[in-house]
Amino acid sequence: MDGASYQRFPKVKIRELKDDYVKFELRETDASMANALRRVMIAEVPTIAIDLVEIEVNSSVLNDEFIAHRLGLIPLTSERAMSMRFSRDCDACDGDGQCEFCSVEFHLRAKCINDQTLDVTSKDLYSSDHTVVPVDFSDPGSGFENPEDQRGITIVKLRKGQELRLRAIARKGIGKDHAKWSPAATVTFMYEPEIHINEEMMETLSLEEKTSVVESSPTKVFALNPQTQQVEVVDPEAYTYDDEVLKKVEAMGKPGLIEIYAKEDSFIFTVESTGAVKASQLVINAIDVLKQKLDAVRLLEDTVEADDQFGELGAHMRGACRVFLFHFG
Amino acid sequence: MNAPDRYERFVVPEGTKKVSYERDTKIINAASFTIEREDHTIGNIVRMQLHRDGNVLFAGYKLPHPLQYKIIVRVHTTSQSSPMQAYNLAINDLDKELDHLKAVFEAEVARVSGEY
Repeated sequence: MDGASYQRFPKVKIRELKDDYVKFELRETDASMANALRRVMIAEVPTIAIDLVEIEVNSSVLNDEFIAHRLGLIPLTSERAMSMRFSRDCDACDGDGQCEFCSVEFHLRAKCINDQTLDVTSKDLYSSDHTVVPVDFSDPGSGFENPEDQRGITIVKLRKGQELRLRAIARKGIGKDHAKWSPAATVTFMYEPEIHINEEMMETLSLEEKTSVVESSPTKVFALNPQTQQVEVVDPEAYTYDDEVLKKVEAMGKPGLIEIYAKEDSFIFTVESTGAVKASQLVINAIDVLKQKLDAVRLLEDTVEADDQFGELGAHMRGACRVFLFHFG
Repeated sequence: MNAPDRYERFVVPEGTKKVSYERDTKIINAASFTIEREDHTIGNIVRMQLHRDGNVLFAGYKLPHPLQYKIIVRVHTTSQSSPMQAYNLAINDLDKELDHLKAVFEAEVARVSGEY
């Protein structure tokens, strides 16, 4: 076979990096790759979430399935998820999907004893594996100022005498199956805009006209420089591809004054994670999952050989000479 | 009532092949690949990569029905290549591109976190 390769070499530049948020630029690849990454981040990166709940006692105001639903939606730290097995693929357990390799067990015991309302939160969920715990949302910086923020996600509130006791099994899953397994809060990408201002035409405008052009944009893309009295681009990425400025410029009778193009191979990604996986890790996992999917979709050798015409052609090219058994279907 | 189960979207049932293909009987060097339990995520990316191949005359994909979880990718090539070759080459190139992207991204993350 010839060694031709039509591979592209994308470039990445990170603008902002926090634990649960990353903003980066992706260049020299096309929209299908950007969209595939977005789709995989939302729907196919595996996480761990509660999937089976056994309730022993529930005298709260919420019914059993309501509480089970809420438990499922609690994000759990899922670093283990990529290396874990799906319950359906696990051969270690007897088929009930509850062995230590494919699941994590949680329990919750809460009873309200005093007159004050007891708030049962995600912090009351105790895990059998210390690496898989409900995500802690408290901001490390302001830890001691606001003790209310550290309580965790409210599951249910109990009155005096009400009790909740349950055992929950968390399993690996993907967002495609149920949204509780999606590790992404939001993933967006936008085309990077390229804005050209025709300086000569701009000279012919009066100050009011320039101000009206600057103000016609709903987001602050342009500004009028007070010293030079020129319209300049102050934040090109605030442009949301509404064509308000272009319509305004045309209405003024000066089309071509401002031209805005979307660069077809330059994207600005914003990835926000639920906390189950770190945002940068989410992107890396998405790339791995996409590679696995492509691998699964490869054409296998036996599929090609089973075909009469191209199978022989392939064999001749490989220098072999074999007798083929035709099989149909 | 008629809705399929959610796991049907990605679990290939026993006995079904993930990828199969049919040559076109009327046009030479043309084939349709049927990929089970995949959607636009793979379909679009493979199709766009096939377009970049100089030997590919036609490449397209479709979902025959939104409730049937499979895609059909159709490829016509010149006589210099075959649809299977073009398809495998496209997948290999995408794999290499993703390897490169992962390396670049990890290096960038290391660089940015190292600055703190």
